[in-house]
Amino acid sequence: MKTKVLLCALAITVLMGCQPATKNIDIANDEGKAVMGLDYRDFDQAATAMISSLVRSGTLNKKDGGRYVMATGRIVNDTMQRIDTDQLMAKVEQEMMNSGQVVMTSAVGDKAGDSLVYEVRDLRDSDKADEFDESTMQAKRTLIAPELSISGKIIQRDVKYNKKTTQVEYYFQLRITDLTTGLRFWQEEKILGKRGSSKTVSW
Amino acid sequence: MVKHSLLIVCIGALILGGCASKSSDERINMGKGVGGDTLGDNIITRPFAVVISALLGQGVEITEVIEARTPQGFLDVQMRGYNKAYGTKRFDYRVEWLDSNGMVIPTKTSVWIPVSALEKSEVSFRFIAPRKEAVDFRINTRKNKITK
Repeated sequence: MKTKVLLCALAITVLMGCQPATKNIDIANDEGKAVMGLDYRDFDQAATAMISSLVRSGTLNKKDGGRYVMATGRIVNDTMQRIDTDQLMAKVEQEMMNSGQVVMTSAVGDKAGDSLVYEVRDLRDSDKADEFDESTMQAKRTLIAPELSISGKIIQRDVKYNKKTTQVEYYFQLRITDLTTGLRFWQEEKILGKRGSSKTVSW
Repeated sequence: MVKHSLLIVCIGALILGGCASKSSDERINMGKGVGGDTLGDNIITRPFAVVISALLGQGVEITEVIEARTPQGFLDVQMRGYNKAYGTKRFDYRVEWLDSNGMVIPTKTSVWIPVSALEKSEVSFRFIAPRKEAVDFRINTRKNKITK
């Protein structure tokens, strides 16, 4: 009996020892291996390429020196992975705003819209409005309409490279459209490719 | 005798390999197997050239830095270098932007970006500051271990 317990304890100890210890990733200098799916390094790289292209293009330079009002349109996730496209767009939007050339609107947009913008207006028009100081309520016709929109797509293509290897291609595409004229001002594509074992699932 | 021959081949590969495959126009680099056969490309002498290059620790040397401001006032930088090694050099670079006080400007674009430099050829990479207050920059590089 004693021997059995001892063996069990020994087995547990050995198995526990085999498990990789949890470590925090050094985000600033991550030397981790590549993965077949999209990880934060891929989004960082894609966002940087997009931001650099956009800044260099001069598209966001408003003639009167002011800032464009921009809304985020639909960013389609056409990959086999469950991706929140904000992983890309949060970086791009942040840098566009910090460049001093753009103000993003939360009043309109596919995902970036803030529902509270309309909830407070519904509140204003409801019976509950009596509970609030009228001068602090949002007046009508105060929202600013967007002048530009940014939309895009993330595409995944799996290609059989050889018997054991699969090639996964990711296409990050963004475009900026002038909402007044419907003309497209800027467009960029960044491709990231990975090759790895066909047994590795990229979703 | 064999030792001497090997030594001569090694030295020959080292000396001649470096100046091999030069195009008449410096802007054009004829890659391995594209231009004429040289000691650096030759199937027999190439291994020696590769070994000597590795022993010498040859790598990428930055030869020129061009800075310009876009019409909107963003600092645009291009780095030009030369890969002296017999082998593609893959590395990452990360740019940190500095304001007029020398303070680092936190941006989402300060991330590791991969670059690939073909053997014995020029390489250029360009980066732009996402903020107008950037007046200078600092670059770090590291060997890229995840790209092939």
